[in-house]
Amino acid sequence: MAEELVLDTAIRDWVLIPLSVVMVLIGVLRHFVSKLMRSNQTLDAKMVKEGQVVVRARNLRAGANFIPLKSFRSRKENGLLHVPKGQAQNPQAQMFSDPNMAMDMMKKNLSMIIPQTLTFAWVNFFFSGFVAAKIPFPLTQRFRSMLQNGIDLSTVDVSYVSSRSWYFLNLFGLRGLFSLILGEENATDDAQRMMQMGGFGFDPSKSLSAEKDGLDIVQHEWALPKFEKRAENVLRKLVS
Amino acid sequence: MAVGRDDKKVTDDLEIFSADNLQSNMKIIYYSRTFLSIISGVIAGILGLTGLTGFIFYFLVMAITSVGLIAKANFSIHAYFTSWNQIIVDGFLSGLMSFVLFWTFAYDIVHIF
Repeated sequence: MAEELVLDTAIRDWVLIPLSVVMVLIGVLRHFVSKLMRSNQTLDAKMVKEGQVVVRARNLRAGANFIPLKSFRSRKENGLLHVPKGQAQNPQAQMFSDPNMAMDMMKKNLSMIIPQTLTFAWVNFFFSGFVAAKIPFPLTQRFRSMLQNGIDLSTVDVSYVSSRSWYFLNLFGLRGLFSLILGEENATDDAQRMMQMGGFGFDPSKSLSAEKDGLDIVQHEWALPKFEKRAENVLRKLVS
Repeated sequence: MAVGRDDKKVTDDLEIFSADNLQSNMKIIYYSRTFLSIISGVIAGILGLTGLTGFIFYFLVMAITSVGLIAKANFSIHAYFTSWNQIIVDGFLSGLMSFVLFWTFAYDIVHIF
């Protein structure tokens, strides 16, 4: 069953290489288009203020041990964490009241979906239904539907890959290359996109009260006395 | 690489490290692993490795990378990273996908047609 198929070199020149090159170029294009469309949204003063308070509380908690107990207390108690009483605007309602937000989200989604559908349609149209590549390791029958998407031959060895499946392989495997050539914050990172979605409905009063609870349970222990000893150790080592 | 963390023994329980430096170290590891997985994929494809030998080659390259990174950190991991896992395991699986893709690509171009 595992007899070798002979593939035409034209397949290499006109399918395998162009497909991969196009995938890379489309990734680059998408990166720059999404960069172009990213609008810097304006925030209102209240939201910025609340956000800053949260950041300050977080910093205080992180650096609590580097300041004396008195300073820590005064920072904690002097109104740093006044939780505003006002009705927290429901993020859903906020989205509807502010058309910019919805637009922003739609743009983000579209810049991801449109190129993918277009490329997939293009691959389907031009390259459907033949073997384009062979992966250099054996796989079980289970992978047939994954790797030979588009050709219905049950006798071909599973390690042969159809062109449509080669497209999918490229889609997943090129992520590493993109992070190398486009830098860290490239638009193809789906996980990061999901994070942004999660942070979208940001409710300051809720996170403020969470920070307040966090500050309340901080066990304060001033670290600097230990540091003097440590500096002494270092200096002694230098001298001796 | 920037020093991410001070000596642990002296300041026993307090965690002292600079988050930015730590992050930049992680980024360096990620980049070097991705780069090496792509390069090693192309090499494996050109050499015509198939089946298990290709994966063994990948493991070998990643092990060499780990050793190289540890050597770069002057064999004192805790000055730069919080744990051993970060230097040995991180970026391993994401690199595997790139490796397989470029391995297949180079192998097909050189050997199949």
